[in-house]
Amino acid sequence: MRAGIRVAIAVLAGVAIVAAAAVWIHRPASGQSPDGSASYRAPRTADGKPDLNGIWQALNTANFDLQAHAARPALSLLPAAPRSGVPGLARATPVELPDPVVRALGAVGGVPAGEGVVVGGEIPYQPWAAAKRQENGREWVKRDPEIKCFMPGVPRATYLPYPFQILQGTNKIVIAYEFAGATRTIHMDTVGDSPSPTWMGWSRGRWDGDTLVVEVTDFNEDTWFDRAGNFHSDALKVTERYTRDSADHLTYQATIEDPKVFTRPWTIRMPLYRRVEPNKQLLEYKCVEFVEELMYGHLGVVDPATGRRP
Amino acid sequence: MTNWRFVGGLLVAAAIGTLVAAQQPATGGWAPPKTPWGDPDLQGVWRYEASVPLERPAQFAGRASLTDEEVARNQKLEDEQAAQRLAGAEGAAVGRRSVGESPIRGNEYNSFWQDHGRPRQVYKQTSLVVDPADGRIPYTPDAKKADARASARYGAGPYESFLDPDTGERCLTDGVTALMWQGPNGGHNRIVQSQGYVTILHEEYLDRRIIPVDGRQASGIRQWFGNAVARWEGSTLVVETANFVDRTNYEWATIFMRPSETLRLVERFTRTGATTMDYRITVEDPATFARAWTAQIPITRLPDETLIYEYACHEGNYAMPNLLAGGRIDAAKRQR
Repeated sequence: MRAGIRVAIAVLAGVAIVAAAAVWIHRPASGQSPDGSASYRAPRTADGKPDLNGIWQALNTANFDLQAHAARPALSLLPAAPRSGVPGLARATPVELPDPVVRALGAVGGVPAGEGVVVGGEIPYQPWAAAKRQENGREWVKRDPEIKCFMPGVPRATYLPYPFQILQGTNKIVIAYEFAGATRTIHMDTVGDSPSPTWMGWSRGRWDGDTLVVEVTDFNEDTWFDRAGNFHSDALKVTERYTRDSADHLTYQATIEDPKVFTRPWTIRMPLYRRVEPNKQLLEYKCVEFVEELMYGHLGVVDPATGRRP
Repeated sequence: MTNWRFVGGLLVAAAIGTLVAAQQPATGGWAPPKTPWGDPDLQGVWRYEASVPLERPAQFAGRASLTDEEVARNQKLEDEQAAQRLAGAEGAAVGRRSVGESPIRGNEYNSFWQDHGRPRQVYKQTSLVVDPADGRIPYTPDAKKADARASARYGAGPYESFLDPDTGERCLTDGVTALMWQGPNGGHNRIVQSQGYVTILHEEYLDRRIIPVDGRQASGIRQWFGNAVARWEGSTLVVETANFVDRTNYEWATIFMRPSETLRLVERFTRTGATTMDYRITVEDPATFARAWTAQIPITRLPDETLIYEYACHEGNYAMPNLLAGGRIDAAKRQR
């Protein structure tokens, strides 16, 4: 009986989260009223383009999981061992506890709940890919490229918990991310194709009214969308839309196409916030030196952290 | 009666005029294009393509310029090498350093990564360093020893842990000091200007500088690339950078590139023509140098369609595990 109530509450909570997400995600395309007329006109740069310059940051939990999710104690959980001893006192439901690898982090290692940023809530994986995403989630600590300070890819770079800066040149727009010093050059002029697959993609931009539309192609298959293990293949194409909503907000929308992994295109949408602090600047997060011990500590003649043979 | 005070004044004025002329890049009356917001436009992909060594070689001691004959000889050499490269010649002819000269045995691995697509330009300068007058970097005695140690280690080891390869091999950076003129494998710099900022994207190591030119104060946070602030002096972009983090405890292939807390850079970017820039950098750091030194560096704007590409160094750093594997084999041999 009590267990039944708990399940009902959990289901209701889940519905509430999805519903709350839906309220924001399903509002009309940003910067436009329902009839399609512009409700906010972005200021212009000196050459008359909508001015997107500034330092921006997402304020959500999309990097934990693009989809709606309840809070949990860690990204890596393992099922607790069954109770031993007294018969009849077996657990009614299995309990999951933090993986010993992350146990020392305590509350710092927890996952905050989030309403999700996927329009419609569902990521339309092909069946094999849905299974792989689950496996990625379980193997997060071994597989997530963020842990190794690898370039985060697109759209993940946008909603990592670090700021990024848009610098609008005359025929190139630079998007400089704080994490790993990753940088994209958006070609607003005509360029040829990328000579090879890349981590941050090959970005071609154009203006659609007040919206910067960027088509990003030529990805490798090594980046993820979040810490939950959502992933893609080298057939990924991302179409991003950046629209000024107000003096201090952008709406960011990214449509993801990857016929090798998904059954149809799907879209994420979120607000981005201007870092309004005076003199805010993009600082360094050169994390390569932060992960060398993790990646190479065991390979040397000595481990410099311990002074001993690995 | 001659007015000596007046003549003296004229002489002083002439001397100052000469000094200023020596310090100001010659633009020949050429004025750079302007950005839509009215700043001189430095945008495009720039690269150091000259054949001038950083420090003056001993054979040119005592003179700042090559003779016309020497220039002609160097030009012939560069033309021949460029022709060989275009003809697809392999090995020593491909690299700018021959295999014999390279500190790394068998330069083939490095040659593969290096871009020698365009012939190098010949200039009369005998060294990029123009101050001090001897064209040499004025290392302190301690720094000279540290540099000799660094050179001996580079490409040779020993490699006991990931801290032992140089910062480039660790995919960290080769530093700001040489950013505008170093890197045969990725020495391209794209300059993008937006209102209030000049951004320099250096292909190698994804090095990036976002330089405010809006009059703001630099933050006091120490960084690998310090904190840069810039201003326009006429058509010249003047960039001052300080607040570097101390990384003298890491291995640097050559130590003039290393940042310390006392490093201070002043750079001057002046376009002198459609495809030429006079770039000057003054480097001051009592931790490494006995006095400030200045290099004058001609850099070239590459054709408009030139692109820079993603330099995913850390993501594909196979060199690190391989170096460490080699280090373990060496250590085992020494024990036997």
